[in-house]
Amino acid sequence: MLSKLKKLHWLDYLVLAVVVGFFGYIWWQIDGVLNYNWRWEQIPNYIVRYHTGREEWFANLLLQGLVATIRISIYASILAVILGTILGIARCSANLTIRMLARTYLEFLRNIPPVVVIFIFFFFLSQQLINALNIESWARTIARSDDKAVWEFFFGDMRRFPSLISGVIVLALFESAFVGEIVRAGIQSVDKGQREGARSIGMNRFQEMRYIVLPQAIKRVLPPLANQFITLIKDSAIISLISVQELTFKTVELVASTRLLFEAWITTAAFYFVLCFGLSMLFRRLENRGHRHR
Amino acid sequence: MKITRRFLGAAMAAAIGASASMPAFAQSATQGLSSESVIEAIKERGALKIGLSLFKPWSMRDLNGDLIGFELDVGRQLAEDMGVEVEFIPTSWDGIIPALVAGNFDVIISGMTVTPQRNLTVNFSTPYAYSGMTILANTAMTEGFTLADYNSEEITFAARRGATPATVIAEMFPKATLLLFDEDGAATQEVLNGNAHATMASEPGPSEDARDNPETLSVPFNQAFKAGGEGFAMRKGDPDALAFFNSWITARTNTGWLKERHDYWFRGAEWKDQVAQ
Repeated sequence: MLSKLKKLHWLDYLVLAVVVGFFGYIWWQIDGVLNYNWRWEQIPNYIVRYHTGREEWFANLLLQGLVATIRISIYASILAVILGTILGIARCSANLTIRMLARTYLEFLRNIPPVVVIFIFFFFLSQQLINALNIESWARTIARSDDKAVWEFFFGDMRRFPSLISGVIVLALFESAFVGEIVRAGIQSVDKGQREGARSIGMNRFQEMRYIVLPQAIKRVLPPLANQFITLIKDSAIISLISVQELTFKTVELVASTRLLFEAWITTAAFYFVLCFGLSMLFRRLENRGHRHR
Repeated sequence: MKITRRFLGAAMAAAIGASASMPAFAQSATQGLSSESVIEAIKERGALKIGLSLFKPWSMRDLNGDLIGFELDVGRQLAEDMGVEVEFIPTSWDGIIPALVAGNFDVIISGMTVTPQRNLTVNFSTPYAYSGMTILANTAMTEGFTLADYNSEEITFAARRGATPATVIAEMFPKATLLLFDEDGAATQEVLNGNAHATMASEPGPSEDARDNPETLSVPFNQAFKAGGEGFAMRKGDPDALAFFNSWITARTNTGWLKERHDYWFRGAEWKDQVAQ
């Protein structure tokens, strides 16, 4: 780190000074215009707090929201990878109808604003699915039973389970289009000779996909898939619009209750940043290690 | 709808006639109507699902992150009187009516003002609360203003999108510019920053904001505008639910319970230390 510092040219210092000066000026401007009573001391309370009644530490609004966001992101990406792989294979299918259907789905999702997609999926699809499968009464039965601890570890408050599931479904459907494109690119990047070789040793189409193409494709698409996972975490903020109790929704609630307008939003932004940046560093490290072993 | 009404009429006529030979189809129609009511669904489920959007002091999160407020007291009492559990479903204000219509919850108890426009989509109970709206103004920017002065192209209002104050501002001050925000905090902040001259909200919000920021904000007029009633909102085509909620509100108004709770949250200050100030 120190040796790196020594390498800095005087021009670098100048640029640094200009950048710092610029942000300082903006801050000074904001401070002059903004009539705001900062109350940062309230924020830690809304992350973890000592419950006065139960006499124990517990995760308050913001941390609850963060945990919910992580849960939703994990489930939604698992579902999105499954749907996206099917979609990606369908995009490379020999059957024209299947190819066209997959293409239609993809173009539909790519060319409509996420907010609209989310509303359409929520009211017309996931809501119907939840009603049809009677998920709500099932979840309520668990919420009322005594051995709900395992369920709550995975899904949070079981009474809010339908809302969590609809959030997961909506988000997964939305992201599956992009995962599908990544998978398609991966499949098509596999050399034609590989497929021909598979055919020549007597494999059928399924075996060719399963044993030859997909293993190679998956290895290649892992880095972009990891990026897509990070994008999904950021996109998950949108499902606060359908009142899924994740980080963004909890922040709105916190702001409505306490008027900690800027503190709450800055904290939430920091949460998202730490989560996404941390994952991006982790994936980069894993990727580098993968290269070394090759 | 028409058919239902005809069947209802037939059932009534039969009842008035008090004859033993009540037409079978009329009886089954009324039975059908009451068995399809959301009230039956609530009893069967053993839980009343209430949709609400956080809005101080109607409903808010306390220091422990739990929901408290006037609506919570009303909802819990309502569920207790029905003998069922209560589930509150916080929903963003923009989507609360679509969510009710889609069946996400049984009733909205969220300080929703009864308006004809909303009434076209949902049914309202008789009001369970009355709140007046007042103007919260940036003192320096609106010095010496009369009410008429606010209706000018130079004036900017800020308000919460989709809420009644936004409609009232557009009606009362059609010439003024109206900035819309997702929640009240942001609207008030715009007035504090001097980007908007004034905002409008239900009391006691404006008075409290003026008390918290005495140098900048004030409530210039004592009068409350469009003191409308707030009612429970429910899906259309459910006479049993409407009748039930109306009777409950009447009963709770007559015993003075609703007023006592309303005063506790809207006039009192005992609950203030439960919420971050």
